[in-house]
Amino acid sequence: MDVSQYLEIFIDETKEHLQSLNEHLLIIEKEPDNKDTINEIFRAAHSLKGMAGTMGYKRMQRLTHDMENVLSEIRNGKMSVTAELVDVLFQCLDALEAYLENIQQTSDEGTDDNEKIVGELNRLLGGESTAAVIAKTAGKTAAPASDENKYRSIKIADYEMHAFDEAVSQGMNVYGLTVYVQESCVLKAARAFLVFKAIEELGEIVRAEPGVDDIEDEKFDFDFSLLVISEHPVEKIIKAVENVSEIAKATGGKIELKSDSVSEAGSAETKENEKEQPGEAKEQKNQAVSTKKQGKPVSNRTVRVDIEKLDELMNLVSELIIAKNSIVSADSTDSGRGRNGFRDQIEYLERVTTNLHESVMKVRMVPIESVVNRFPRMIRDLSKKLDKKMELYMSGEDTELDRTVIDEIGDPLMHLLRNSADHGLESGEKRIARGKNEQGAIFLDAYQDGNNVVIEVRDDGNGIDVENVREKAVERGTITREQADTMNDRDIINLLFLPSFSMSKKVSDISGRGVGLDVVKSKIESLGGDVEVRSVLGEGSKFIIRLPLTLAIIQALMVEVAKEKYAIPLGTIQTIEDIPVSDIRHVQGREVIHLRGAVIPVVRMNGILETGAVEEAQENMTVVIIKKGDRFAGLVVDSLIGQQEIVIKPIGKYIRNSKLISGATILGDGEVALILDVNTLV
Amino acid sequence: MEENKAESGPIQYIVVRIEDEQYGFDIKYVDNIVRMQKITRVPKAQHYFRGVINLRGEIVPVMSIRTKMGLSEDEFTNETRIIILEPEQQGAVGVIVDEVREVVTLEDADVDRQMCVSAEGRSSFINGVGKHNDELISLFDISAVISD
Repeated sequence: MDVSQYLEIFIDETKEHLQSLNEHLLIIEKEPDNKDTINEIFRAAHSLKGMAGTMGYKRMQRLTHDMENVLSEIRNGKMSVTAELVDVLFQCLDALEAYLENIQQTSDEGTDDNEKIVGELNRLLGGESTAAVIAKTAGKTAAPASDENKYRSIKIADYEMHAFDEAVSQGMNVYGLTVYVQESCVLKAARAFLVFKAIEELGEIVRAEPGVDDIEDEKFDFDFSLLVISEHPVEKIIKAVENVSEIAKATGGKIELKSDSVSEAGSAETKENEKEQPGEAKEQKNQAVSTKKQGKPVSNRTVRVDIEKLDELMNLVSELIIAKNSIVSADSTDSGRGRNGFRDQIEYLERVTTNLHESVMKVRMVPIESVVNRFPRMIRDLSKKLDKKMELYMSGEDTELDRTVIDEIGDPLMHLLRNSADHGLESGEKRIARGKNEQGAIFLDAYQDGNNVVIEVRDDGNGIDVENVREKAVERGTITREQADTMNDRDIINLLFLPSFSMSKKVSDISGRGVGLDVVKSKIESLGGDVEVRSVLGEGSKFIIRLPLTLAIIQALMVEVAKEKYAIPLGTIQTIEDIPVSDIRHVQGREVIHLRGAVIPVVRMNGILETGAVEEAQENMTVVIIKKGDRFAGLVVDSLIGQQEIVIKPIGKYIRNSKLISGATILGDGEVALILDVNTLV
Repeated sequence: MEENKAESGPIQYIVVRIEDEQYGFDIKYVDNIVRMQKITRVPKAQHYFRGVINLRGEIVPVMSIRTKMGLSEDEFTNETRIIILEPEQQGAVGVIVDEVREVVTLEDADVDRQMCVSAEGRSSFINGVGKHNDELISLFDISAVISD
């Protein structure tokens, strides 16, 4: 079977599963008893195994299989989650990631068997030995003879017991069979089907382990077990099975009905119950199937779409709106003819197009979560590696950015986090000596600030030693002594962003090779953003990344100034006031208002926007109070239209105006409204 | 996609009217022709930019070529159109014209490149004059039109 066409999907999905495994393992590490999480981990590992198997990646499959064994023991409560176990599982994930990397590059998983990890896994399993598990794992690797008869571990249900009793009383035999399919077999399900057919000629299959559905779906490794009722001797059945091609081996024997399972099953059951049970069992099976189905969407709710296709869709929607608008205007010129039905339809079309427009636009936006969700794991590993206690606190993961920005922002953030972990945070002893919590804290906060998305990477570590940087810069000849003496702290800190300027005294493999901050800076600048550093020696440092929201969706207040519509980003608005004109005072030739104890300068938008309209004398003014940092300004507008979700579009490079206008947006009716960058007005 | 620029081969031009004269845009740079629509004024832009329009979901700046060439103010009529130019490696930009007349094909021999020696006024936007059926068509130098 040619699976190469599925390779991309496989890679994407594997990444998703690995991410989910990482996240859930981190949870498990903190709450070892969280059942849901264990189930989630198990499911992800299971899917990985299935996918790897389908794609023919044997080593990957084997590793996930062994992981699954361990996880299944945990799930069944037979093993407890220990720090050691979590470590091994993390190692597994790393190994899987390495496989994936190889696959991505060469579409081959490589040759590393990761024997050590597999060994660890099996050792962990062995420590908690239960016969069934050993049988399962051993069967997978090199099976000792005694463990080949897996059918013995099949639990016989009550209703089956009943059927067996009946069969025996009619002089038939009950056999257990375990069938091994050759590992090279491609169509396992088809072989299994042939096996079923062969057996059914000689007897009746009462039970299959795993279930028949699973076998049909190839959801088994290389063996399955059956319970069969037949009048023929067991050897004949085994022979028939082994005659099917690509069947490696079949083992079987009579099931002794007086075994443990009998006593377990046969006791205290009423006849009524027995009657109902086949139905119930079926129901149970259905339930099992449906829970599986329910489980799936949790980890996989997305459809991958090419951005170009979205662009195309977006353009089409816009055209639809324009077409709709022309119908609307055509209708309004024909008004008074009482064609109400026509108008209703147009309104309906209008509603549809508006909704379509909005949802298509939203598709392009991706929450930043998809980038930052791998960071907790990274910090955990760094914590172990550097032997420093630290914790990552994240907020604003749901902040949305355009897909193209999302793809690029991961590396710079990783650099900054590593930086914080490695040279930002002090060692544990030093922290205690300074009266800080031994555990260092790193914060990653994302939020929207006007037309920007701001991502802050902050730590409560040592901060940047400005004098130290100054000395170093002189020492390296980056700046002269005179320059050093005249430069302020901020400029000195910015030296850190120069290429190959590393402050780390010892080069580690985490950071400090001098390829960090300049790369961060250039990357972010290429995305149209900027980086800023704030640092207080002894208290920590903060890297502030500001990214423009090109194509981002923001909430904005629509206002009208001299019949023109403008959008003011809601995030910058503090309050909206209705102020009598008589309240305006003049301070140093500027108009100001007193508002709750603050003196706020008034900006007449009519004048700033050069509308040319003459303001009518009114008793009250509508003033939008905006805030930038700790400064305020009051914008006088004619009227408020309302709050709206808008998409920011660039106005292109041709028009050079002051930074007053940060972009434009297309309103529901296709008209263009400009977005004010109020930062320039404060 | 032939790369035959000034020399050899016929070039198609879209002929438009601005005031009382005929001008031609090399069809290679014309993306679209749209009717006059509501233009959103952009404050503090260069004086010849009328503002921006929504063209299939994209924001396109629109300039008044009359203002840019130092002619009289635009008069918007039913014939007024916006020519959307899409120069190589730059975004689209709209130019307001009074009327779109026809598409003509001019051989190299029909184009006089000598007439535009003056570097000031409107002729600085022209890089040739084409003759078609006894009429003269001033041919726009697209890069001059779109540059500041």
